[in-house]
Amino acid sequence: MNRKLLGLIPFLIFTLLCVFLYQGLFGNPRELQTGRIGHTMPSFTLPDLMDSQKQWQNKDLLGEVYLLNVWGTWCPTCVAELSYLTELKEQGVKIVGLYYEQAYDPDFGDRFDINKLRVEVQTMLARTGNPYQFNILDLERTLALDLGVSGAPETFLVDKQGTILLHHTGDINQRVWRAKFAPKIMELTQ
Amino acid sequence: MKIVMVLLLLWCSSGFAAEDKYEFSNQERASTFRELTHELRCPKCQNQNIADSDAIVAKDLRDKVLNLVNEGKSKQEVIDYMIDRYGYFVHYQPPVTPATIILWVLPILIVIIGFGVIVFRHKKASSKQTWSPEDEQQLTKLIQQYQRREQ
Repeated sequence: MNRKLLGLIPFLIFTLLCVFLYQGLFGNPRELQTGRIGHTMPSFTLPDLMDSQKQWQNKDLLGEVYLLNVWGTWCPTCVAELSYLTELKEQGVKIVGLYYEQAYDPDFGDRFDINKLRVEVQTMLARTGNPYQFNILDLERTLALDLGVSGAPETFLVDKQGTILLHHTGDINQRVWRAKFAPKIMELTQ
Repeated sequence: MKIVMVLLLLWCSSGFAAEDKYEFSNQERASTFRELTHELRCPKCQNQNIADSDAIVAKDLRDKVLNLVNEGKSKQEVIDYMIDRYGYFVHYQPPVTPATIILWVLPILIVIIGFGVIVFRHKKASSKQTWSPEDEQQLTKLIQQYQRREQ
């Protein structure tokens, strides 16, 4: 009996390994646990996308629960989620855009045409709906780096005190919203 | 043909050297930068380090590492800076935490269990065998038998 049980051990290890590896097939490697969750928003001073005179700082964002949506017109997935984000805005969710410019690299002598970008953004938002209260332009991607952004679209949920509660990589759709964001927001408003 | 290949090879290597555009005030910083860009993982192209990846975020991280190294930050300080922002994922060397301790313990445990099983079986096998006078007699008989055959 004892011998039989001992013989089962390799089989048991094999089964455990199979379960572990099988599970791995369905994991999402893009789902990262970034370091900023639970911390306050890093401090920044960045211009508004539409108005270079206007500067935004982290303290301007305090006092309300909001979504910080990292996006760019160059990013197809961002464009795809714009209409759903607009729906959310109509339901009363405050959404702030963080414009993530991809093409700009001063090391290669790129010159940045802000007017062209503004026209591009306006045409796009006119087509899909505009979910943003305003957009922050992060040309050098410094705030993005401080937030642990690896690309676009990414979305952060920030509470009244400026604490980052969620960091979502990828688009926001109804499924993601209901599973991830809605319960957190319910918790906050209760 | 051979000459062409050699030329091609030379051309490749010179191209590679030209890519090294970063400048450092001393050799130590240069090697810290090289080590860091090979140890830090690109959060976008997840199976590449930031030296290898062409993603924008990898370039931003390289530039940041360059700045931090040139500011005189130590290797560990740069790693901590990145982990602060991108999580443990960004470093190829995982830290020892309750969640990751299994990575170190499991191999050792397997070796210990393996040796344990060997020792256990060995002891069991030797304790089962008894040596009686009859066995002794049979042994001498067998030895004699084979000795006679040989002669």
